[in-house]
Amino acid sequence: MAKKVAIIAANGGLFDAYKVFNIATAAAATEAEVAIFFTFEGLNLIHKEAYKNLPLPEGKEHFQEGFQKANVPAIPELVEMAKEMGVKMIACQMTMDVMGLEKEHFVDGIDVGGAVTFLDFAKDADVTLTF
Amino acid sequence: MQSDKVLDAKGLACPMPIVRTKKAMDELASGQVLEIHVTDKGAKNDLAAWVKSAGHEMIQSAEEGNVLKFWIRKG
Repeated sequence: MAKKVAIIAANGGLFDAYKVFNIATAAAATEAEVAIFFTFEGLNLIHKEAYKNLPLPEGKEHFQEGFQKANVPAIPELVEMAKEMGVKMIACQMTMDVMGLEKEHFVDGIDVGGAVTFLDFAKDADVTLTF
Repeated sequence: MQSDKVLDAKGLACPMPIVRTKKAMDELASGQVLEIHVTDKGAKNDLAAWVKSAGHEMIQSAEEGNVLKFWIRKG
């Protein structure tokens, strides 16, 4: 049976996005079944507008250049790839309500669910990560 | 070293070499050999680990300047 990788994305910066999507796509490329639960600021990572321009941590803006030099793929590209590889993305309903967000504010192909949706997937996951 | 397909992943950063390798591998039949060229130094350990968990076999690797080359037989 395929390995299962369950990821919680709770932060919304550019560094956070790379941590989440690099691990997710690498896991999917290694035949794992992957689900990411986006909650609180983590929702930025799949927000149609916000994910195009995620902030670097304060004082670390100079890393922008490093990202370009290292030829690291842009976040929308990684999200597209993750989707293509079957990574399941779940936006947290409760935090969407708190932040006044609707499903159409997010990239296509995501699911909206509650904590139990994620827990049901994560209960027999081989790897569980929180970013 | 004979290969059935060559993947040029030079200039790509993690996780792209692995993602591209997986996609290229999907197009091969069991027993066929994929040749991969990368410049990402992290790919050396990554590909070795990927081969192991995906059930393939690393037949050979080589270093030519800053280009790393790998030959993987599909399991």
